[in-house]
Amino acid sequence: MNGFAYLTPGDLAEALALLRQGDEASPLAGGQTLVPTMKQGLAAPETLIDLGGLAELAGLRVTPTHVEVGAMCPHAVVAADPEVRAACPALADLAGMIGDAQVRNRGTIGGSIANNDPAADYPAACLGLNAVIRTDRRDIDADDFFLSMFDTALEPGELIVSVAFPRCREAAYLKFRNPASRFALAGVFLARHEDGVRIAVTGAGTDGVFRWSEAEAALGREFTATALAGLAVPVEDMLGDLHAAADYRAHLVKVLTARALAAISQRA
Amino acid sequence: MEMANTRRIDASRETVWAAIQDPAMLEKCIPGCKEVEKLSDTEMTAVVVLKVGPVKATFKGKVQFENVAAPASLTLVGEGTGGIAGHAKGSADVELAEEDGATVLSYRIKAQIGGRIAQLGARLIDSTTQKLAAEFFNRLEAEFAEGGDADTALEPALSAAG
Repeated sequence: MNGFAYLTPGDLAEALALLRQGDEASPLAGGQTLVPTMKQGLAAPETLIDLGGLAELAGLRVTPTHVEVGAMCPHAVVAADPEVRAACPALADLAGMIGDAQVRNRGTIGGSIANNDPAADYPAACLGLNAVIRTDRRDIDADDFFLSMFDTALEPGELIVSVAFPRCREAAYLKFRNPASRFALAGVFLARHEDGVRIAVTGAGTDGVFRWSEAEAALGREFTATALAGLAVPVEDMLGDLHAAADYRAHLVKVLTARALAAISQRA
Repeated sequence: MEMANTRRIDASRETVWAAIQDPAMLEKCIPGCKEVEKLSDTEMTAVVVLKVGPVKATFKGKVQFENVAAPASLTLVGEGTGGIAGHAKGSADVELAEEDGATVLSYRIKAQIGGRIAQLGARLIDSTTQKLAAEFFNRLEAEFAEGGDADTALEPALSAAG
């Protein structure tokens, strides 16, 4: 690993000012992707700006309309919070399925969605729940935030402050994970909102997280397994690699969508 | 890994032919390219910064033109090393066909990536390579779409090519 400067700003304004000072400065959230990458020598930022001391990015709150999670809130906190579990059990479930205990204790929602790994879990929750990503300068709808794998609408030097998830009628997240990395080979977040159904798929698409709009429309008309029967995600849009071929991932997406539907129906 | 695709570019075949061998044009179109230097008519060196998610590695390499059959087809053969990150080599068979005054460009790319970047990023290499190739041709298309800017820039190259 190369040498680097480690800075610990005390508030958001100071962090933003430090970030503006150089291209080679990188914000550090939970470090669950950046630090292993640095250890391998595949990234060598000159300066790390630790966001851990920023009160603006910490904690979470549950209101009658939203669950708002601070960017630096670790997955384990979201998974264990009784208010989150009561307001949106699928979100707590998802946070509890990320990585392993170490990753959940250090990794943060802001880090996860800013990185936008095509197999990360949180992007599916953001897209499925129609979240708003609040940054230091604006609010971005999840639909406009995830551009393609590892690519987001964030500008250089822009920091996520929090993610606001609207509360929905019901939702479920189902994930088929790679047993070694625990990343999703495919993950499906199915949410039933007052104004329709949203289905967000992670781990499977060549371009990162995406909405399966055909199935959304079908389940919007009729919320049953029969409505899904004739549908399929296009194989050419699926990721194929040594862990799973594209047609297998396409199959998984459909199976997981059906299981998410069943999970919601059983709960109701 | 192999991939193939076809693009339609709104310019004459001669213009596209010159563009894909023009160092200035390649520098503009290769994602993350810092510099392209021409060594001879069939050889160039390039410096490319590859940035994928948290990974940022600088690759230095050489590109050669082989099987040149102007203005219809050629093979670009390249090899580069990215220090600790690893190494990459590959080739692209490019064919240009005329169609109603525009050019249909077909390419078949073979690439091999090795070293640390391949070990860690195996699940991402195929889609990254596809994305980079798509971006290259998007930029190339855009160069021709932006009001003939590319045509002007390429005139010396065209006359030199005869």
